[in-house]
Amino acid sequence: MEKFRILEIKESVFEDNNVQADLLRAELKEQKTFLLNVMSSPGAGKTTTLKKTVNALKDQLNIGVMEADIDSDVDAATMAETGVRVIQLHTGGMCHLDADMTRQGLEGMGMENLDLVILENVGNLVCPAEFDTGAAKNAMILSVPEGDDKPLKYPLMFSICDVLLINKIDVLPYFNFDMEACIERVKKLSPNIKIIPICAQTGEGMEEWYEWLHTETKKWNEK
Amino acid sequence: MHELGVLIHVVEQVSEVAAENQVESIAKLVLQVGELCSMIPKYMEKVYPAAIEGTILEGSELEIERIVAQGKCRQCGHVFGLIEAKGACPSCSDRQFDILQGREFIIKEIVCQ
Ligand SMILES: Nc1nc2c(ncn2[C@@H]2O[C@H](COP(=O)(O)OP(=O)(O)O)[C@@H](O)[C@H]2O)c(=O)[nH]1
Ligand SMILES: [Mg+2]
Ligand SMILES: [Zn+2]
Repeated sequence: MEKFRILEIKESVFEDNNVQADLLRAELKEQKTFLLNVMSSPGAGKTTTLKKTVNALKDQLNIGVMEADIDSDVDAATMAETGVRVIQLHTGGMCHLDADMTRQGLEGMGMENLDLVILENVGNLVCPAEFDTGAAKNAMILSVPEGDDKPLKYPLMFSICDVLLINKIDVLPYFNFDMEACIERVKKLSPNIKIIPICAQTGEGMEEWYEWLHTETKKWNEK
Repeated sequence: MHELGVLIHVVEQVSEVAAENQVESIAKLVLQVGELCSMIPKYMEKVYPAAIEGTILEGSELEIERIVAQGKCRQCGHVFGLIEAKGACPSCSDRQFDILQGREFIIKEIVCQ
């Protein structure tokens, strides 16, 4: 007769990743590299926003971009047009990046002399919220066509973000998106969050965002 | 599909523990999943065979224990089941509460040799 035993593990699944993420964050702080993790639903405008952002800041900061995608290279090709260091990370079907994959990406790209690394996370509002990547700050992009009730449906995502960009404000007249109600819902989940309405296509409202990112990067890197 | 990615993590974590403890085979994996955690047991069961393929867990059974979501009303202090009460305190109907439990996602134990 085979004898089975019970082996108690009692480990929180997210805890393991949290430890790796804290470690990575500390190393990045030491190296003076600010890692920004950008999350949104697919199509909210991450690539469009980030490309403009890189172009606006690349003369002042050394920037690297990591594009995470399930298995395509489209975003990395678009981003490469800016001339900064870009790496495409394939998550191989995974719907989020964890701290280990982020570290591999950073190592693959080479982190020397980078002031700012931007991570375009996999388009999804559920799992990226549960996996700390080790980023200094988390940003989220919500686009107007997705609706003002998204904070009610994905509370965790909104509660972990430091900054929220509300994108595609050019289409506000065609959607019944209640900006005030949306902001109020978000503030309830995250009282200190910075909210900036933008139009990534035209650049409207983006100055305030560049300013925020530039200031936060400097703050992180000055020690 | 979020469950597969997360289960792959779980399998890695369990495999490490198994190796440290000279485990030869695993008959069952027991997870504790809070009602407020985004992992849905029905989907976890569906993708489990794919997550364990080719690992020490291959062929094992998955058991999921649910942890009830509990909140404590900020108005009157009443402790209640959040899902059942749909987020409103059954005692004073206030909607502001602190979550006491229900977010957990824990690898509880394995039954092994
Ligand atoms: N109307 C409008 N469309 C936008 C805006 N920003 C991005 N888009 C469009 O939204 C689509 C998805 O954008 P993309 O940046 O690829 O989103 P991602 O999947 O989050 O990276 C593209 O067709 C963009 O041209 C905006 O401010 N206004
Ligand atoms: Mg994109
Ligand atoms: Zn009450």
